[in-house]
Amino acid sequence: MHTSSKIPAIQIDDLTVAYNYKPVLWDIDLVVPEGVLMAIVGPNGAGKSTLIKAILGIIKPIAGSVEVFGKPYKKQVDKVAYVPQKGSVDWDFPTVALDVVMMGTYGSLGWIKRPGQKEKKRALEALEKVGMLEFKSRQISQLSGGQQQRIFLARALVQNAEIYLMDEPFQGVDATTEKAIINILKELRKQGKTLIVVHHDLQTVPEYFDWVTFLNVKGIASGPVKDIFNDDNLTKTYGINYKVAVNQT
Amino acid sequence: MTSAQLEIQLIAALVAVACAIPGTFLVLRKMAMISDAISHAILPGIVLGFFITQDLNSPLLILLAAITGVVTVMLVEFIQKTGLVKEDTAIGLVFPALFSIGVILIAKNANDVHLDIDAVLLGELAFAPFDRLLVGGSDVGPKSLWVIGSILLITITLLLLFFKELKLSTFDKGLATTLGFSPLLIHYALMTVSSVTVVGAFDAVGAVLVVALIIAPAATAYLLTDDLKKMLVLSCFFGIFAAFAGYWLANILDASIAGSMTTVLGFVFLLVYLFAPKQGVFSVFFKERQQRKEVSLLVFLLHLQNHQESNERHVNHLREHINWQKVQAKTVLDLAKKNNLVQISENIVSLTDKGQEFTDEALRYITTNKETAIEELKDRYFLFRG
Repeated sequence: MHTSSKIPAIQIDDLTVAYNYKPVLWDIDLVVPEGVLMAIVGPNGAGKSTLIKAILGIIKPIAGSVEVFGKPYKKQVDKVAYVPQKGSVDWDFPTVALDVVMMGTYGSLGWIKRPGQKEKKRALEALEKVGMLEFKSRQISQLSGGQQQRIFLARALVQNAEIYLMDEPFQGVDATTEKAIINILKELRKQGKTLIVVHHDLQTVPEYFDWVTFLNVKGIASGPVKDIFNDDNLTKTYGINYKVAVNQT
Repeated sequence: MTSAQLEIQLIAALVAVACAIPGTFLVLRKMAMISDAISHAILPGIVLGFFITQDLNSPLLILLAAITGVVTVMLVEFIQKTGLVKEDTAIGLVFPALFSIGVILIAKNANDVHLDIDAVLLGELAFAPFDRLLVGGSDVGPKSLWVIGSILLITITLLLLFFKELKLSTFDKGLATTLGFSPLLIHYALMTVSSVTVVGAFDAVGAVLVVALIIAPAATAYLLTDDLKKMLVLSCFFGIFAAFAGYWLANILDASIAGSMTTVLGFVFLLVYLFAPKQGVFSVFFKERQQRKEVSLLVFLLHLQNHQESNERHVNHLREHINWQKVQAKTVLDLAKKNNLVQISENIVSLTDKGQEFTDEALRYITTNKETAIEELKDRYFLFRG
């Protein structure tokens, strides 16, 4: 891991986000070093998805700042890829898998310019990486939940970004897909990419991730899994019954 | 056909296409009812514009009315954002209020204005050829043809330029934002185009029927294709078809042209709804019946595999044992035989090698791929064709 003295991948200072004047994230300070595979964990309603959306500028914070490699997100759009929750889109939209993956290339094209052969080739490569090449012409509503998640991952891969933000990529996928996804994430980390993943399954945190952030409206702790993934922080995040939370998953 | 007849059909077709294009995106964005709100709420804009210009086809009137349309959308969103009412309620609050202001304005000035409620609600295409555009003293055609033609040209240009952006922000607003596009800008651009189109079509088809031209072609096309581009083309096709067919229907029935167009659209939708190859009511019914048959076949094969003892595999016993009616048992047995999955000797059913192989594979497939359909396996064995 190359975390020393470099500009952090993401630096968040005093970030507060509110819906209808009710804070859902309260004064968050967070530094994500470059090259980590980080889980964001916390109970339901802790603001995990909101944190990701605030980093990406989808939600406007009422206070605080987010910097991506030392600059505001708007100037670093091409360095960040986003994998939203599967449920955030309408899968009945009239299009096929390949086309959804192609959408990942739109950012590098900018306004008006159309995707061409080069973009198509990149999309096909990404589909192959996630093992979905044979489904490229499948209507997206005809894909299983796990396959839809892989399509979203492929769409992020074509962006060829430095930072990947993922909102519950393992939600509703079977064990095979989960393994396949985590292998791709680990490979991306090996290439020096930074990955931030909203994660629900506390049991797999030590196996999958090297960095973890505990969140419950406020930031509780953030650091290497081996140092801070302990009962103390789990209790602070989930309350005294956190073991129930662990066993549920 | 007289030239007036031709002109009316041409105007109707252009109106239909101009409505179908934004309509496709409104339907996909689940905003179909917004078009209803816009078409009613622009009335005060039209009336005020008419007071000023005395011309339903004046660009200033179109601009004023279109602004009213966009303001309507903003009002709906504002009320919705308070979190006190849902979107459909907000729509229902805003547009009747604005519409009634328009109605009152017309009623108060009924004597001075050539604008009556009937025309506002239903439009009157038959009169369109009478209002000519004169350039340097010479007649270049009906004004509404030029108006809707220009609007359509702008719409198509915008569509070609920003198709990618429209598609992306319709499918995934979040991704559009993170890639540096502005879904908000695209949203209001679409609302503006929709408003302008509604105003341009207003004269021809009126406030109520313009909604049908926006929604029905797109809804019909949505049942027929998985491809956005094809959906757009099909929407336009249905719109044009309704324009021509509607005109001649009106001619035969001696009825309102706009009313006939909408009737045709409704009828086309009904036909497609019933008979669409993939999503039509009948096709879904047959598909489900087919699936029931397939599941029954699998159950049957698994039963054969699980029981080596011959009394469990006797034809009559099978019927009682799996608890099927006679007909269903026979259908399934025939299907299995036709596909060479079983053989019967002396009323004892047993799996063939192919049947054995298929059952093994199907079982493995079902236990490991809980989520995916078994299509690929079926194709490989050329099954279930009978």
